[in-house]
Amino acid sequence: MMYRVRHVTAYRYDKPVDLASHLLHLKPRALPGQRVTQARIRCLPAPDHATETHDHFGNATTRIFIAAPHQQFEVTAESLVSVDFAPPPAAGDTQPWEEVAADAASGEAAEFLFGSSHAPALAAAVDYARPCFTPGRPILEALLHLNGRITAEFRFQAGVTSTSTKVEEILRLRRGVCQDFTHLMLAALRGLGLPARYMSGYIRTRPPPGQTRRRGADQSHAWVGAWLGAEHGWVGLDPTNAIVVRDEHVVLAWGRDFADISPLRGVILGGGAHRLTVSVDLEAEDEG
Amino acid sequence: MNTPVNTPMDEMVDGSGRIRPHWRNVLGAVGGLGKPQLEERARRLERAAEEEGIASILPGSKGAAVGWRCDPVPLPLPAGEFAALEHGLAQRARLLEAVLADLYGPQLCVTEGVLPAALVFGNPNFQRAWRRSSAPARRPLLHLYAAELLRCPDGIWRVISDRTGLVSGLGHAQENRRLMGQAMPEAFRASRPRGLSTFFDLWQDSLQRLGPHGASAPAVALLSPGNAHPHWFEHVLLSREISAVLVESGDLTVRGGALYLKTLQGLQPIDVLVSRVEANTLDPLEFPEADASGGVPGLLDAARHGALSLVNAPGAGLAESPAMAAFLPALCRRFLGEDLSLESLPTEWLGSPGALDRVLDRTLDRTLADGPALLLRPAMDGAAPGARLNEAMRAAVLADPGGWAATWLPAASLAPCFSGTTLTPLPVALRLFAVSNGDHWHAMPGGLARVLDDEAPLAGRLPRSGWCKDVWVLADEDAPIIGPAAQHVPPMAIRRNSAALPSRVADNLFWLGRYVERLDRAARLIRATLRRLRRGVPSPREVAEVAALARCLREAGIIGEEALPGGGSTAALSAALARAVRPEGRVGRLQSRIAALTETVRDRLTDDMHATFIQTLRTARAAGDTAGTGLEALSRAMIANLRFATAVAGVASENMVRGGGWLFLELGRRLERGQAVLAEVGLVLDQPPARIEAGLRLVLELCDSVITYRGRYLAVLQPAPVLDLVLADPSNPRGLAFQIAAIEAALAEVAGDRRDELVAEAGALARDAAALVEGVLEATDQAQAASGLPKRLAAMAAAMGAVSDAVTRRWFALLPAAQVLGMDDDPAEPADVVTA
Repeated sequence: MMYRVRHVTAYRYDKPVDLASHLLHLKPRALPGQRVTQARIRCLPAPDHATETHDHFGNATTRIFIAAPHQQFEVTAESLVSVDFAPPPAAGDTQPWEEVAADAASGEAAEFLFGSSHAPALAAAVDYARPCFTPGRPILEALLHLNGRITAEFRFQAGVTSTSTKVEEILRLRRGVCQDFTHLMLAALRGLGLPARYMSGYIRTRPPPGQTRRRGADQSHAWVGAWLGAEHGWVGLDPTNAIVVRDEHVVLAWGRDFADISPLRGVILGGGAHRLTVSVDLEAEDEG
Repeated sequence: MNTPVNTPMDEMVDGSGRIRPHWRNVLGAVGGLGKPQLEERARRLERAAEEEGIASILPGSKGAAVGWRCDPVPLPLPAGEFAALEHGLAQRARLLEAVLADLYGPQLCVTEGVLPAALVFGNPNFQRAWRRSSAPARRPLLHLYAAELLRCPDGIWRVISDRTGLVSGLGHAQENRRLMGQAMPEAFRASRPRGLSTFFDLWQDSLQRLGPHGASAPAVALLSPGNAHPHWFEHVLLSREISAVLVESGDLTVRGGALYLKTLQGLQPIDVLVSRVEANTLDPLEFPEADASGGVPGLLDAARHGALSLVNAPGAGLAESPAMAAFLPALCRRFLGEDLSLESLPTEWLGSPGALDRVLDRTLDRTLADGPALLLRPAMDGAAPGARLNEAMRAAVLADPGGWAATWLPAASLAPCFSGTTLTPLPVALRLFAVSNGDHWHAMPGGLARVLDDEAPLAGRLPRSGWCKDVWVLADEDAPIIGPAAQHVPPMAIRRNSAALPSRVADNLFWLGRYVERLDRAARLIRATLRRLRRGVPSPREVAEVAALARCLREAGIIGEEALPGGGSTAALSAALARAVRPEGRVGRLQSRIAALTETVRDRLTDDMHATFIQTLRTARAAGDTAGTGLEALSRAMIANLRFATAVAGVASENMVRGGGWLFLELGRRLERGQAVLAEVGLVLDQPPARIEAGLRLVLELCDSVITYRGRYLAVLQPAPVLDLVLADPSNPRGLAFQIAAIEAALAEVAGDRRDELVAEAGALARDAAALVEGVLEATDQAQAASGLPKRLAAMAAAMGAVSDAVTRRWFALLPAAQVLGMDDDPAEPADVVTA
């Protein structure tokens, strides 16, 4: 499936901002299963200085610096991306989850075993997930079960949580948004000794024919990358929509949690109060 | 290490009770002094440390550095032994830099399993922002390195902790050496230890080499968290040693991808930054946990792209992890193809298979009394002091073995320490330092020995206080005697002394000037009041003077409304004055602010100036603290404060170059004094014309102008001559016109233009004052005219306040507050979603 992505972030400030520095994770990653044919970022006012690098996780990062006073700031990220992630293996054929945990301490997944500030390895999250992880259960079965339970048992509701809401609080509220559900699932998996990473990106705006609109569209989206062991590698699981990531998601970046790869972070001098508007559009294109 | 005996080695005495040869000269000199002399020298060392500022400034004042005590007996090291340590230190530094280069680049040691992934990815000191996933790590990573060592019973020095992040202690070593040179000259002459200056020259030279390509004289800055930091003193000292401008993050800004210092002359580029702040507070853009108001946004990106050399690299602290010691032998073979020559104390990472059992078997099942003790440290926190294993810790360790490293502690070697009365053998730890010039590591021929008394931490970051020894590396007896200049030193690059004055420093000097003057004024007012209160039965004139003085005291915030004399009683006034003089009173608080400001501008003052400031201020503080309520003692305390203010004025006028810094100190003092003269004259004249004469007398007294007046006009008091002397005569240094002239001159200098509008505003004030006196002189009834002045004087005081505000706005313009975007608001859930 090919998508045209357009993500606009706009800030309006009460007072002039004298100096602004922004760190962006807004260019989709090239991956097996995800081809990026175009990706560009425009910003207004034009930056005085900008740099592009790849971060520790291999994500494309853009930094922009504006030294002229401004009261509006707008970033538009546009890309053309085709996605077709390989289907996951048959759940019943995957390794018992304990074996995956035992093998995870070295190798490429090791980093994602460790708790991070927004997604610590958390006993309360493990308690929640425990019924899914019965002894010897094939890992993907357990993961799909947990993924589905979060969608079913937590209400998708904007405005009750923020980026600083702790996982304990989300468990208590039983409500939140994609980022909260992702942090919860990460906290549970890491607590069980299973590597899991935070995936940042988008989900298609209009549902496939005959299906309901996905939750988390029109916005930045987040989901979980879970490790199935060396043989099958990573699988994307979206606990907000109870689905496996195949061709409805576009990956921007991954990290340990939101803080590693927030789409746009900035430090400004001045500005007073500000108002933020974000729009995300992920339209399916005719391929060919 | 399997030493059968755990008896500590004695540094001074060998196994058969003989003094070791390298101790003979030191001991001879120390012994030759005799006990009373040695006690005197120890006191002298302590006093010098206090007076020159390693110890606290004012007791109880905030942010004061706490003292280090330097022992009069140094720790000598023979040339051969030091050469071996130097070699080992250099290899260890090369190794740690190679490990860092790998971890901040390809991470081969993790994929190959030489180093467990947990010690990297679970490590809070692994700064992902500095890693390059697809290119070799950016260098320099390690520029300055220190290792702390203990000498084991087998006579071998082994490393207990590596310092690769913020390397502290060089300043202490340097200061010890200076103090020892003064206090123990005989021992110095007898032993002739190698000097330290070559090392600092090498360090400075290596910093110069870190400049961007083509820059022949890169600008070097040392970034400090500020004067509240326990090692601020060291930052001041080192910045001088390496000719770096001492800065705080608020002084810096990144523009166009490069780092600049905000100075009074505009933005000045910085090419090399020696960082003394925690890595994750460097740049709020890169470290989500950082406070937006600290750090410099874009600083890391400037370093990442080579516009700036930042040392040690952010994240270099990763190599301090105590658990890493367990893997260094293997890492040394992997990266250097060599065996590790300077070993660590035997250490286990308790997350390694079987390690927990090995450690617990060897220790808890046995009594610890005779066996080696065990030091438990958080596996990945090199700054933590650690603790000896006991039953209480056992639970914490069992709950999370991977979070801990265990180190077998030897009985550390003993060196003689002067406890105040006798020489006592006490265990010591040795901290050695090395700097890299990009090709080679050079060790400092000296170091910092810490006496491990009961309070001293065994490992981790350098504590705020302690008992230390200078380390004397002795010259090789067989080597030809050569001066330091003849030693091999690489050719030095040309240096540039950065004379740039950061705006913050100018601001602090300005306020230092104002507060010193404010203290001076408070002391004069209080003294003048006390003089009258002490006279017992006052004359009617004195009653009127006391009332006028009380109004001045009230206006200056020294006493409250309730203390104003009423119904003939001055008891409340006396009590209020006694309160004001106390350390927590108005005068005491002014002293504290002055002490704090003095520390913030410490790098702009010579040691002598600083010592003069602090000693006289301390005397004033002590006098206020012990004055009680006796009027005479309170008077004496005021005299001590006036002496302090005079000392500052004298030092500023005799010892400070008439450049940017002095100009701001001068501006602050003159503005404060000018405003005070206007306020006091206004308050004193604010009475009926019949009582004007008493007011005039008081005006002369407060402006210290009685003698001058008498010389000119004998004993005849008339309003116009008095007002001329205190308001319009530019030759009276306590009068208004003199202050205005000084303000005009300083403003013209700072602005670089005599026609500047601020200079013009000051000039207008001078003309106002002259016109005002002229008016009184020409009036038919001078007393009548004088008593009508307070309003005009108040307007002039306001105009002077406006000049002060304009100075603040123009030169110290406070930046608007910094805020972080994208974390507080919720990109996943924006406040206002626009659907396209």
